[in-house]
This record gives sequence, structure tokens and C-alpha cells, in this order.
Amino acid sequence: MLVLSRQRDESIMIGDNIVITIVDIRGDKVRLGINAPAEIPVHRQEVYEAIQRENLRASRLEPKDTRQLGKPKE
Amino acid sequence: MQIRTTRFGSLELEPSDTIHFPNGLLGFEDCRQWVLLADAGNSALGWLQSTTRPEVALAVVSPRRFVPHYQFKVYRSELAVLELEQVRDAQVLAIVGKNERSITLNLKAPVVINLRCQLGRQVVANGDLPLQHELTTASSTLKKSA
Repeated sequence: MLVLSRQRDESIMIGDNIVITIVDIRGDKVRLGINAPAEIPVHRQEVYEAIQRENLRASRLEPKDTRQLGKPKE
Repeated sequence: MQIRTTRFGSLELEPSDTIHFPNGLLGFEDCRQWVLLADAGNSALGWLQSTTRPEVALAVVSPRRFVPHYQFKVYRSELAVLELEQVRDAQVLAIVGKNERSITLNLKAPVVINLRCQLGRQVVANGDLPLQHELTTASSTLKKSA
């Protein structure tokens, strides 16, 4: 992993068009500003990981498990 | 084309039946081609079946049929790969799961499909939405009232 030291208000570039700026540092918390093109989604990693886990769990569902789903109210 | 599935046996598909997910799904990044199957027993239920991995299928529903007030917001970037020209070309599906208590719907990361182009993506909705929204089934409602 590439490790870079940065101070407040300094940035790094990823490729030509993603800029990550250190906005604030307080104790063990760092606030990042992210400038990326509209087609690049940006999310916290733990959100991605939770969705991955949920997808894997959902993929173990069998048709018989869905019987308790019932039909929606029309 | 013919595909194998562990749940539904062998299926004969037209190439136009397949839905392309350019990014795969989270946890299934290698699965780019899927097909949406109707459930034999429940008209409200579908199965998003991988065409390349027979064992990978996700039960899906139209979330508003179960959670009438459901709505979500996403960043424009989440929808970019879908090439949507108008919102009405988009079909929103919630993935069905199950925890110890209940059947659940993933309202945090719905699947959006551009029906016109057969393009799909699992998007991450903004804000505080549950990954496991528990559905109170008809039978459990009865038990509570008994």
C-alpha cells in the first residue's frame, strides 16, 4: 500500500480527476473532502462490506424460505 | 442459450433475457450477467439468477408492494452506468433475505434495472435505511392478535 503524509488542506490526486483533500484533523478523526467525477460513487467502506455480507446471506435463501413472505396487500 | 441453476434446473433463455450488471453485485463482483425469473408460487416474487454461477440466485420483490411508503435517494453517480433516459424506464427491486425472526428486505441497497437497455446495478441509497427490514408476515400478525 502506498502511504503518503499530508497536512491539513493538502490533497492527493488519484488519476486525473479524483482529488482527496485533508479538510480537518482532530485527535484520531480525519475529515476528508472528495472531488470525483459524477460517475464514480463514493461510500464509506463499512457500508460496502455490510451490503456484501447481506447479499451473501440473501443468496442462501431457497424458494421454500420465501413461503412465509406471503402476498402483498393489493 | 441454456443455463444451469441449482434451484430451478436447466433453463432455456433468449440472449435478450439477460440483464447486464457492469459492476456485478457487491459480494458477487464476478457475476455480470443475470436473468430475472418469475417465482412459480408467488406472483410478487422474482429471482435474480446468475447465468454463470448456477448456485447464485437472489429473491427479489418490488419493494413498494410490501413497504408502500418506501423511497430512496441516490447520488447521480450511482445511476450513471444505467444510461437511464427517463425515470420510468427504471425498475426498482429489493433483495429478499431472512434473519432469525423474519423475512427481510434490503432497503439500503436496492437493485435498479433499466428495462429498455437491460442494464442493472445495485445502488447504495443515501441516509439511514435498513439492510434488513423485517416484514411482518400474515401468520405472525395472527399469532400476535391471538
